[in-house]
Amino acid sequence: MKETRDVKVRMKGVGDGLHVAFDPTLPADSIREELNRLFKQLRHLAINARVTFDIGENEGYEELLDELGDYLKAQFGVGNVICPSKRRMVSEGITRQRDMQGAWQQHQSDMLMLTGRVRSGQKVTARKHILILGDVNPGAEIVAGGDIIVMGTLSGIAAAGQPDNENAIVLALDFRPTQVQIGGIMAAGLPPSGDKIAEFAYVEDNAIVVEEYLKANPFGRQPWPEVR
Amino acid sequence: MEGKAEGKVIVITSGKGGVGKTTATASIGAALALDGNRVAVVDMDIGLRNLDVVMGLENRIVFNVVDAVKGRCKLKQAAIRDRRIKNLYLIPASQSDNKDVLSPDEMVQFGEKMRKEFDYILMDSPAGIEQGFENSVASADEALVVCMPEVSSVRDADRVIGLLYARSITPKLVVNRIIPEMVERGDMLSHEDMVEVLSIELIGLVQVDDHVIISTNTGVPLVLQKGSKAGDAFRRIAMRINGRKDIPIEVPQTEGRFWKKIGSKFGLGK
Repeated sequence: MKETRDVKVRMKGVGDGLHVAFDPTLPADSIREELNRLFKQLRHLAINARVTFDIGENEGYEELLDELGDYLKAQFGVGNVICPSKRRMVSEGITRQRDMQGAWQQHQSDMLMLTGRVRSGQKVTARKHILILGDVNPGAEIVAGGDIIVMGTLSGIAAAGQPDNENAIVLALDFRPTQVQIGGIMAAGLPPSGDKIAEFAYVEDNAIVVEEYLKANPFGRQPWPEVR
Repeated sequence: MEGKAEGKVIVITSGKGGVGKTTATASIGAALALDGNRVAVVDMDIGLRNLDVVMGLENRIVFNVVDAVKGRCKLKQAAIRDRRIKNLYLIPASQSDNKDVLSPDEMVQFGEKMRKEFDYILMDSPAGIEQGFENSVASADEALVVCMPEVSSVRDADRVIGLLYARSITPKLVVNRIIPEMVERGDMLSHEDMVEVLSIELIGLVQVDDHVIISTNTGVPLVLQKGSKAGDAFRRIAMRINGRKDIPIEVPQTEGRFWKKIGSKFGLGK
């Protein structure tokens, strides 16, 4: 249409409805005038149409939107009027949960899960996390883009968060690696704890720290289960 | 041996050198032959042959394994018969060649020929995981991994086990040179620790024994020496290979504890 003119209201057909975008900070009268002009052109097409208001990043203006919606209904006989800002106000919790479920489905294949024993001279590499149900022998090497979790004895070399993710962790039920690397930080010659307790390594202040996993419970204080 | 079931090729390997592969090969081979099997022991350590010395057959070498594989002589010409033990044959290594004169393909063909002539063919693999190892395992049906209770030996054995699994061979473990006193004091890895790391089936525990050196120097097979604990252990390993699964694995123990145990059996030493 007349795009060259100073555009106050934009309208486009979306599926079976009309998407109407405008800046709610403009005077209500000028918006109404512009709507009037646009909807007049539509004539009978406006009848029973579903109209969605888009006010961009702006918040509030419920009154204005209600008023404009009522105006359009009365004047042009449009169907229902939806204000996206209202729809976005569903509780954050529900949104979060929904996102999370979607995310879990999406990320399903990001983890490499193996069973068995990784022996000396063998190397396991994955783009993201690695879970090994078994042991990692001395001389073996595990390299992951994300976390490394060994449900058994880890005695080889573990490099997590390669190349630069320092949030990654290395966790093993029996933690005695010859060398641990997280992101670009490396640690070797970690003193063995002696007992078979689940321990994990993480980065704190540019150094690798090893702690008992159940005691430290690093993810226990997270308010929501999150996709890692 | 016509019409008889085909024999088995067993490779004896370790990765690390000096852990007792050659001694194990000679002893297990001799023990299997004493049990009435037709046995060939093949020295695959081409360029560094010494199985012939250990077996005391050094002075009778005419042809060697390279000649036999390359078809320059007949199998029977290369196989040296042991005079003391019936049905025990040695195919010696070539001392002047290099390990890459043979290829794994040739070894597979050689293995097929050998299986028709013998019940057990023991391949004494060289140390390392290079060409010599590749050739030794090429035709193998089974594998024995010899390992000493020592970290470096365990590390190498672990690597070799991985390579054997990659060739669909499930190896069995022989722990050699155990010093019971040191194990008791906690100064030496116990065989339990080793099995835990290597996680393969254990087939025998052999303790350190002066008779081994005597046997190597004199060429008298270890299993023929009376009172040799290592020899006894190798005989039991041979029996287990031969299908006697019921033979228990004896854990080497210090003299004192042994007599205490015997004593307690008779109600003494309480």
